Amino acid sequence: MKTFHKELSAGRWFELTFFEQMANIGSEVIRAISWRSKNNEYSRRAVERALELLGLTIEDEKNKSKPSRLKELTRLREVLIDYFYFENQFGSTENTMKKYFNSFAFAARRKT
Amino acid sequence: MIIVKDEVSLAELKKMGGEIFGDLIKAVVDVERGLMAIGGELHSDEEAFLLQDGSHQKNLWGINLYPEILTEEWIEFDSVINIRPSQGNYTRSVDDPETREKIIRIINKLVKK
Repeated sequence: MKTFHKELSAGRWFELTFFEQMANIGSEVIRAISWRSKNNEYSRRAVERALELLGLTIEDEKNKSKPSRLKELTRLREVLIDYFYFENQFGSTENTMKKYFNSFAFAARRKT
Repeated sequence: MIIVKDEVSLAELKKMGGEIFGDLIKAVVDVERGLMAIGGELHSDEEAFLLQDGSHQKNLWGINLYPEILTEEWIEFDSVINIRPSQGNYTRSVDDPETREKIIRIINKLVKK
């Protein structure tokens, strides 16, 4: 499988704060949603990038060491895969996705 | 990562896009200096690059370029770095239409189609 984020995968991702990590994942998720009705290929790539970053986030020791955070991240992965690849049994919507990730984006940029 | 001050061809952008994400290139535009940084994995990397080069954060805006798209949709105003409550920009987009226009003009000047 192709690695999109080569430098980030090599270790730099772990230097980001949890909020920054989630904000960047959120960007790709929302991008995937936005492209869904216009270009399936672009949407698919955005989902793959989001999942790649989410995988790195789950591997990050600072997140792995917090049981509640790890639980949230692994559930998030399940929800995303359910939403983009399967039947959306968890009933996610574009709006709920945006609301969820927007909070992290604001937190990440709070001081600017 | 590079800073584009003069010109970059669409072909070069396509090649660069293909090497990283396959469809898009992340860019940060300095609307004051009329240049952009491209080639980073995150907009915040490009933002930091430009700040070190002398840019000021208030002039930096994150966008995505889709070189394969032939309409004006090829410029996507979407980046976490755009969330800047101190400047009244509360979304990932570029809320001010004048700033969006400036960005479009700079991109059209820098990218040779």
